[in-house]
Amino acid sequence: MNNKNKETTVNIEQVRPDAKMQSITLNAWFGSKQALKEINLTVEANAVTAIIGPSGCGKSTFIRCLNRMHELVPNARMSGQVLLDGKNIYSNETDPVQIRRRVGMVFQKPNPFPTMSIFDNVAAGLKLTGTKKGQNLDEIVKKSLQQATLWDEVKDDLKKPGTSISGGQQQRLCIARAIALQPEVILMDEPCSALDPVATAKIEELIVSLKHDYTVVIVTHNMQQAARVSDFTTFLYLGELVEYGDTRSMFENPKSEITEKYITGKFG
Amino acid sequence: MSRLLDIGLEQLTSIVLKMGEAAEKAVRTSIAGFMGGQDVSEQVSELSEMLVTMTVTVEDKAFELIVKYQPVASDLRIINSYMKIAYDFERYGRYAWDISLTHQRFAASRKCVHNEDLMGKIVDKTMHMVRKSIEALRDNNGEMVKSLAETENEVDKIYSAYLDILAETPLAAEDGICNLLVIRYLERIADHATYVGEAIYYIATGEKIILR
Amino acid sequence: MTNYILRKFKNRLFFILCAVCVVIAVIPLLSILYEVVSRGAPQLSINFITQKDADGGIGPAIQGTLILIGLTSVVGIPLGVLSGVYLAEFGNNKYAASIRTVNDVLTEFPSIVVGITAFGVVVLGIMGSYSPLAGAVALSFILIPIVARTTEESLKLVPNSVREAALALGVHKWRTTLSVVLPAAKGGLVTGTLLAIARIAGETAPLIMTVLGNAYFFQGFSSPMDALPLRIWRDSLQPYANLQAQGWGAALVLILIVLSLNIAVRMASRGRLRR
Repeated sequence: MNNKNKETTVNIEQVRPDAKMQSITLNAWFGSKQALKEINLTVEANAVTAIIGPSGCGKSTFIRCLNRMHELVPNARMSGQVLLDGKNIYSNETDPVQIRRRVGMVFQKPNPFPTMSIFDNVAAGLKLTGTKKGQNLDEIVKKSLQQATLWDEVKDDLKKPGTSISGGQQQRLCIARAIALQPEVILMDEPCSALDPVATAKIEELIVSLKHDYTVVIVTHNMQQAARVSDFTTFLYLGELVEYGDTRSMFENPKSEITEKYITGKFG
Repeated sequence: MSRLLDIGLEQLTSIVLKMGEAAEKAVRTSIAGFMGGQDVSEQVSELSEMLVTMTVTVEDKAFELIVKYQPVASDLRIINSYMKIAYDFERYGRYAWDISLTHQRFAASRKCVHNEDLMGKIVDKTMHMVRKSIEALRDNNGEMVKSLAETENEVDKIYSAYLDILAETPLAAEDGICNLLVIRYLERIADHATYVGEAIYYIATGEKIILR
Repeated sequence: MTNYILRKFKNRLFFILCAVCVVIAVIPLLSILYEVVSRGAPQLSINFITQKDADGGIGPAIQGTLILIGLTSVVGIPLGVLSGVYLAEFGNNKYAASIRTVNDVLTEFPSIVVGITAFGVVVLGIMGSYSPLAGAVALSFILIPIVARTTEESLKLVPNSVREAALALGVHKWRTTLSVVLPAAKGGLVTGTLLAIARIAGETAPLIMTVLGNAYFFQGFSSPMDALPLRIWRDSLQPYANLQAQGWGAALVLILIVLSLNIAVRMASRGRLRR
């Protein structure tokens, strides 16, 4: 039935100066097992880019390469380049810690610091990285919680432990914590998988509102979520980039047979 | 591996195909009645009503699939196109009924075929397009849209030529009316056959093409 | 007998067997407590606890034990905790693996051997005399491996997601360990440390050759010093009934010290559970 003969792989050889982040022939290994193969991907600024694919296809590994968290795993290594505003974050002179301040991350399971209050959790990034000098912490915490749409729910309980709120609220707390550092890019690794539908909906709305000020990359195994929140979608399969495009086209008329099979649920 | 959605899609497909058969029969019967001088309006009216009911069923089924399965990609395109095609088939039936009613009202006392040659051509081409559109649906042939568009062009030309003749010839009002009505209905059927072709092309390629 | 009755009987039998074993196991503990409390309690008095030997008290022994605990902790706890931190946070290589093995061996070391070593190195070598420092060194040998091990275990219980959260914010690894991981493992660290201290409070063999024992209060770092285990041992060997009674009193005091440390542990961990 498919009478298409189009090119199915996307190869970006040139550096795109206006893109927020770009991976160039990115490969990643865990020991001898190769998790990512020659990924060339552009992340547009002030947009939400979703990464979808079956379990084990390398989605999480990929975004961990974007903030240099991949190298923290023993026996992990990578090759290729990852550009942030045109500069390679893996160059020898670059401090990974600085990169992580510009590229924040929110994890699958909400992980607020257990020994800190809500206020301290949000301020933690600033306090622990020494970037709090000369800044009004109260204001920053309030603004971050507001942006994370959590302020109204916790404004009277800022001294309560970070773990005393519900799962969905904890996840928004983690988002506020990441935002407090004013990163340029926010990476999200399946941020809603541990949450109920109502909490998920709130976070999806939040994600869409974030893109005005930040660039967002979200890994999700929920295709409908990718369709709902993202502007661009990337499909990874077995460590390779199979297709990348704007979300509407990808979900209405994917170019690759494999993409079509995956998103219509014929496998994976 | 068969998905839950596949069962629904099969049901949807079979209703639309049945509509195609019924619509083709309605057009064929009404044309045969018209050309052969018989009143077939009852038969055709039955088929037309059945097609109206089936359109509602198709829409209903399509919505059920959307609600339950949030389809994407080719599944979504199929559902979208089948709803359109069901409407087009319902139109076949409606225009066929209109033809048979026109014949019933005028044929006994009037001459509804003023130019046999042109009428014959337009009837043949329209019938051909109806058959081809149903074939395209059955075989999922998106390429058929091009030949359908060509034939539709030819139908348009014949229609225009016939109109010119009717305009220039002094005819009794009712003669003019029933000729005009019948060729108009035939031309509209041909239009809808093109739409069916476009909808199938969309399923195959994801492109919305307008060749009318 | 039907199957059901037979099964019920077997169940009962097994249960009774286990209960009997528990009772047998607990009897010695209860009898020790009974003996110590009944024989030692009459000895307790302000005089007993604060006066020196000559005045009928075990003050020097109590002071000695407390000094030893203090010295050992000051040196041993930081070393133990930092070792545990190294093993847990930075110990994913083969060097750490061998250190871990050596550490585990040290926790099982016979305390008398530790005592002889401290004797040779500190008493004969560095200090030239019996000394509280030698005692502290010997007890540290016992304390540090235990604290290192419990610290490592507690830190490992902190979920990795917490570390990742901090690292992803761009916090340096050392700061993450200090400000995020250690506070999260606080409960386990405190428990482990208190248990280790309770353990060394009762160690006798290492003290025999390092502090030797003394009838007087602390007399400087180059003299022998008394300690409760030593006092108990000495008094029990005396042929005088009143001295033997003092030994029981000392035993009771030692048990009370260890007991209160254990209770402190309990309260600390209950605080954790409540949260």
